Amino acid sequence: MSTTALAQRYADLAAGDANQYLTFTSRGEMFAIGILNVKEIIEFGSVTEIPMTPPFIRGVINLRGTVVPVIDLSVRFGSDHTETQRRTCIVILEVREGDEIQDLGIIVDSVSEVLDIPPGEIEPPPSFGARIRTDFIAGMGKVGGRFVVILDIRHVLSVEEMAALAGIAQGSSSEIIEADAT
Amino acid sequence: MDEILGVFFHEASEKLDEMEAGLMTLEQGGDDQETLNAIFRAAHTIKGSAGVVEMTAIEEFTHVLENLLDRLREGKLQANGDMISVILSACDHIRALLACIASPQSDLEAALAHEGAQLVDSMRAWIDQEGGQNTAQDGEAQASVDARPFGNTGTVEGVSSNPCWHISVRFGRDTFRHGMDPAAFLQRLSECGRLRNVATLADTMPLAEEMDPESCYLGYEIDLEADVEPVTQANLEQVFQFVQDECALCILPPHSPLSEYAALMASLPESLARLTEIFGQSGALTPCASAASLLDNILLETAAGTLTKTVENGPSSSGGATVPGSRIVAAKERTGQDTRLVRVPAEKLDSLIDLVGELVIAGSSAQLLARQSGDGLLTEAMALLSRLLEEVRDASLQLRMVTVGETFKRFQRVVRDTARETGKQIDLELRGGETELDKSVVEKLADPLLHLVRNAIDHGIETAETRLARGKPVTGRVTLNAYHDTGCVVIEVADDGGGLNVERIRAKAVERGLIDTNATLGENDIYNLIFEPGFSTAEQVSNLSGRGVGMDVVKKSILALRGTIDVHSSPGQGTRFVLRLPLTLAMIDGFLVSVGGGAYVIPLDSVVECLELKEGEALGNVLNLRGQPLPFLALRDLFEIGGAAPLRQNVVVVQAGGQRAGIVVDQLQGEYHTVIKPLGNLFRHLRGLAGSSIMGSGDVALIIDVPSLIQLATLAEHDQNAGSTRHRLENERLAATSNP
Repeated sequence: MSTTALAQRYADLAAGDANQYLTFTSRGEMFAIGILNVKEIIEFGSVTEIPMTPPFIRGVINLRGTVVPVIDLSVRFGSDHTETQRRTCIVILEVREGDEIQDLGIIVDSVSEVLDIPPGEIEPPPSFGARIRTDFIAGMGKVGGRFVVILDIRHVLSVEEMAALAGIAQGSSSEIIEADAT
Repeated sequence: MDEILGVFFHEASEKLDEMEAGLMTLEQGGDDQETLNAIFRAAHTIKGSAGVVEMTAIEEFTHVLENLLDRLREGKLQANGDMISVILSACDHIRALLACIASPQSDLEAALAHEGAQLVDSMRAWIDQEGGQNTAQDGEAQASVDARPFGNTGTVEGVSSNPCWHISVRFGRDTFRHGMDPAAFLQRLSECGRLRNVATLADTMPLAEEMDPESCYLGYEIDLEADVEPVTQANLEQVFQFVQDECALCILPPHSPLSEYAALMASLPESLARLTEIFGQSGALTPCASAASLLDNILLETAAGTLTKTVENGPSSSGGATVPGSRIVAAKERTGQDTRLVRVPAEKLDSLIDLVGELVIAGSSAQLLARQSGDGLLTEAMALLSRLLEEVRDASLQLRMVTVGETFKRFQRVVRDTARETGKQIDLELRGGETELDKSVVEKLADPLLHLVRNAIDHGIETAETRLARGKPVTGRVTLNAYHDTGCVVIEVADDGGGLNVERIRAKAVERGLIDTNATLGENDIYNLIFEPGFSTAEQVSNLSGRGVGMDVVKKSILALRGTIDVHSSPGQGTRFVLRLPLTLAMIDGFLVSVGGGAYVIPLDSVVECLELKEGEALGNVLNLRGQPLPFLALRDLFEIGGAAPLRQNVVVVQAGGQRAGIVVDQLQGEYHTVIKPLGNLFRHLRGLAGSSIMGSGDVALIIDVPSLIQLATLAEHDQNAGSTRHRLENERLAATSNP
């Protein structure tokens, strides 16, 4: 294979990756996230709770020497907190906000599979009815005649917003003002 | 190319810092030759590097600056306040040019060009002032000729008949060590034209037993006949660009005035007789005709003291002269300094420290296993390994620590400029510059400190008349002081001005609607009002401060570093701002405790003692500690940790900022030495915790930030007294997390 052909193949592969999504279930519903954001999937282990934080921040874990915050997606979507079961996982995601890259974990009930969803098969989010905030939805992917909610992790896991909420939970009024300004 | 540019920007800004520091010393009366030389060398390096990366604007501008500095260096001009101001502005201008090149903006460029022209004009004015009929030519050797008070006589006034470029070069001792080969330069020169005469000078070579075979003792006198292509001085200088800092180079164009040859000969280390011979061979000078008058001339100049170089071994000694060029010595010293420092990207250090941290953690769990195995030899080996690991960790953490002195020194310039703008006389006193702080903290500290220092000068220090009237010395004093205190670094910014005016602050706060007219506030509460957003007491909005942004921004940035800021003031005596900063990322000597299932680390510096909490001893949340009331807080309640408290609870007595308090925990686990892992951006609003750390078991322990925990407990109690807090908190939490 010539180098140009090889380069082409890598480009195709990369483009292919951009259309791939990891599907998982949370509170009984299926969601998808772009595979390029996923760093790894680990078994649910010991999570250290951080006091004085809102309930959707489950705590932190030790990921090979790095302390990574873990978000309970179910609480973030407004439901009860995720009960741990045999298949409960933590999906480690890389979230880019401005210049900063932060690793965050999300707790999900189970991880299903990786799907190819071409851009043509993705519809814009409905204005209501999906039972989660519309800005959390990047699009509705059509898979085998069913819709799957593709999450916009920049909003779902917005560090800015979550940090502001954490500030409120601690009840410091100046932080609220600061958070509003940002 | 980008990489080269990056290096250039970095180097240039460092050199500019050096220049500024030197200029400040100069202004404070440190008028020694070494300082001047250092400033000159810095400018010279900037010019040279700008040439390499082809930034002609900077190169040309710096060239004029360099000329002025050269006059200063040779004592032909005396530095005064105005001149230093212009040179400082020139430094700023170079900085601005650099910034402009880094991110081009066309409107800025025009403004800069204008500013540059003005600066060049004022610098030229001084340069011309000095020399009388200055011929304004390049090169360093003839600078000394320009100011020649005597010697307008005889052949020296004439022009050399030499039709060739004359290049005189003495390589630095370290030329070989830097991987340079003098022959390569000859090769490159020969590409510019034909080498007519090459005289190799090895006169500075010492006797064989003293000679270092790795040192370069070579010099050349070269006559170069230019090809048809016009060769310029810059072309020839470029040939030597890689060694220009460490070699003594002089290039004379064809048919140069004999006076320049005379100056060159005077500046060279070899004996005059030998030089005359060489120059005679090249046809630059006719040996018998000119040598005598040249000698006379040089002697005259030496007597007049216009030459910085001694030529004592010139006319008298005919043997091998061994006085090395002063510049060669200077260059050698400088390269020596460079090798003692290694520049490493911060990320590399961070990842090293991370790795070492993990190594220590892995080591301690291995040690635990070894102990459990009961194998004596293994346990012993592991103990040794752990000790070494801890030493490695301490050493690598030390790599990130820098002294605050560097940052402090920058304020000399700020103080000087601000003092000039306000027309006040200010002395800056720096203390504790050797206090070490994490580099990332130091960097973020510069801006808040800048605000504080400027405020101290603008608002704090009174005008000269007022000071006299109050019986104080006319010169105001601003003090920057740094020291370690219970696990924190404390930085104080103090002035001996009028102090904060309680009445005025109060009136202003009422006017701005920050407090109620009838509010009863303690003095400290009033002082703290100045940190409120939009607060400014200066009646005149000046260029420096008084825009009402400042103190609140300062407070915010200090809080962002998880530090605190306090203000102390006494009327007529002055104001003192006290900044307490944590030694983030620095290793932490902690005290491990546990509550419920969780582990917490209390910084050992703030732990005073531990005691058992006995039933019935406490009154509310106050304990009787040997007759003293000790307020305490229960971590279980404050952190809302579930589960029932065990029968035996313990109190850790902590001290922070002059305040004592007890922290009630379940178990005491003992001393614990660890690396702080920051909790990250998500928890940046979180008070009470300073970070986390990974324990040998792999679990995460939370590090307690004692001062903010005490603050938190105080607030919580206030809120509870106010009643509805829990409710409000719950409501907000619901509102924030629920669906729209």
